[in-house]
Amino acid sequence: MSAPTVSLLLMLPALLLLASVFLYPLLRYGWLSLQASSVLTGLVPVPNGGANWGRLLDDARFWTDAGQTLRFALCSVSLELLGGLALALLLHRPLRGRGPLRALTLLPWALPTTVMALGWRWILNDPHGPINAAIRSLGGSSYGFLSTPATTWFFVVLADVWKTMPFVALLLLAGLQTIPVDLEEALRLEGASRLQILRRLTLPLLVPYLTLALLFRLAQALGVFDLIQVLTGGGPAGSTESLALYAYLNAMRFLDFGYASTVMLATFLLLLVSLGGGWLLLRRHGQGHATERAA
Amino acid sequence: MSPSSAAGLELRQLCRQVGDRRLLDRLDLQVAPGECVALLGPSGCGKSTTLRLVAGLDPASGGQVLLDGVDLTGRSPGERQVAMVFQSYALYPHLSVEGNLDLGLKVRGMAPRERQQRIDATLELLQLGELRQRRPAQLSGGQRQRVALARALLRQPRIVLLDEPMSNLDAQLREDLRPELRRLLCGREQPVIYVTHDQQEAVGMADRIALLDAGRLQQVGSPRELYTNPANRFVASFLGRPAINLLAIEPGRQLGLRPEHIHLADDGGVAARLLRREWWGHQQLLWLQTQWGALRVLTTAEAPMHPEPRLSWERQHELWFDAQSGARLPPP
Repeated sequence: MSAPTVSLLLMLPALLLLASVFLYPLLRYGWLSLQASSVLTGLVPVPNGGANWGRLLDDARFWTDAGQTLRFALCSVSLELLGGLALALLLHRPLRGRGPLRALTLLPWALPTTVMALGWRWILNDPHGPINAAIRSLGGSSYGFLSTPATTWFFVVLADVWKTMPFVALLLLAGLQTIPVDLEEALRLEGASRLQILRRLTLPLLVPYLTLALLFRLAQALGVFDLIQVLTGGGPAGSTESLALYAYLNAMRFLDFGYASTVMLATFLLLLVSLGGGWLLLRRHGQGHATERAA
Repeated sequence: MSPSSAAGLELRQLCRQVGDRRLLDRLDLQVAPGECVALLGPSGCGKSTTLRLVAGLDPASGGQVLLDGVDLTGRSPGERQVAMVFQSYALYPHLSVEGNLDLGLKVRGMAPRERQQRIDATLELLQLGELRQRRPAQLSGGQRQRVALARALLRQPRIVLLDEPMSNLDAQLREDLRPELRRLLCGREQPVIYVTHDQQEAVGMADRIALLDAGRLQQVGSPRELYTNPANRFVASFLGRPAINLLAIEPGRQLGLRPEHIHLADDGGVAARLLRREWWGHQQLLWLQTQWGALRVLTTAEAPMHPEPRLSWERQHELWFDAQSGARLPPP
């Protein structure tokens, strides 16, 4: 047997497993998106000649949700990257009690999303939550943070940033620790300021880690479901509804499995395009650094 | 000579303490312009600590670093105009050879044209022109070391520091590079400090050797001075391979005899019995049992060997030490 054949055979079990959990569902969605399968058909799939895709193109709710999902992902991921970088740089410095501090920063990330979303919902509750309690005790009147689109959107992003910034920080901290101290010292001897060291040395060497964080977070943020489902349910007036939530509603509330599959696949395509874009963007900046680091 | 007007580099009572660990204890050392002084000693003796204090990478706990009589102690590394070659070479992995040289100049705000001229001149001096576009990962160990050296020499520093610059290279390359390194580094105006734990390298590179142990300067002088007239037992046993024989001949005193200073004789002298011999090609090392214990003796490879030879040596080669403190004693 030739070497490629052998390697293919050896990889086969892993490939089969991947195919069964990724490829099969995708193909199944693809097939289902070409069927009418709803309460009207008695939940029996009936081919409808791509009518679902035509409907998608005209579905204003889908496009609004797509815009909202993208906006949410871009805002929260960029804030997370910036904040995570700042946090990582801080935690990388020799501080007293650095160990416990690192553990403490990870705490929000360790919380299950549902739990933390419920926590935020209570904090923002009108009128019983602690923030409104504080406002009232200062003589103000309570405010419906989750009843106005603008404030709701702000708090959804805030909750997401609060929860996942530690993860980004942890990833970047690991990256910072791979940069030998010597390099920074050599640049210090050249008279470089902290900012110059960051710009000329640290950031370029961190690009692979930034890419990784960006792709991870972008993929998760574009598929955001649990946070929004628990915190706002997509409201008020659908202003925080994400694509994943819309697909879920189509399947589970409207029992329209054909159209839900179509929304799902469209979301998947959007995700692929965004991830590819993010990857290309950072790759051009990084030009394959650090992977070829000197021994 | 007034100490503040001394040209070159002067370390005065330099100390470094971390917690209750004294890494460097009141070091006094002068390096003249153009002179190369090797800091030699076992690991943890304070040699790299000294280098980092001179570079300003660590703060001194006491004492001063003076250059041409000007106190540098409080200045940041960037203000000291110090060049340093790191043991790891510390090349920036994301930049080409040229980029590695350029970054320091760019940081200092030098004009592009002048940067290019300097870089071209330095690359030529070190014969690195063909490698200018390569990344550090695409270079051999010797080439990386040269790039590190080029980066250090590029901006005409006022002090050159080398921290074990050859310890990552194989033995043959190290030997080959020594003359080149001396040609490039020494005899210019800058004082050079060369840290190494390899005595051969120190002897080959330096005008003078400063031998350190446990954060304290043991002796400073030319290699010959340290070898023939060691200040104490540590210096005597650190320098010279195979190591000096230390014999407890009298209570409270030890006799130091270098293996190459002991002769084989047919009669007279001290009785000995051959334990083992190592043949080195040009020489042989004999292990001999005597009344004071085992001795190492270095002879020519062709020396005739008697199984029970007699040993003799000249009085002038005897080195006497205090058995307790290791301090050098006058001959009895």
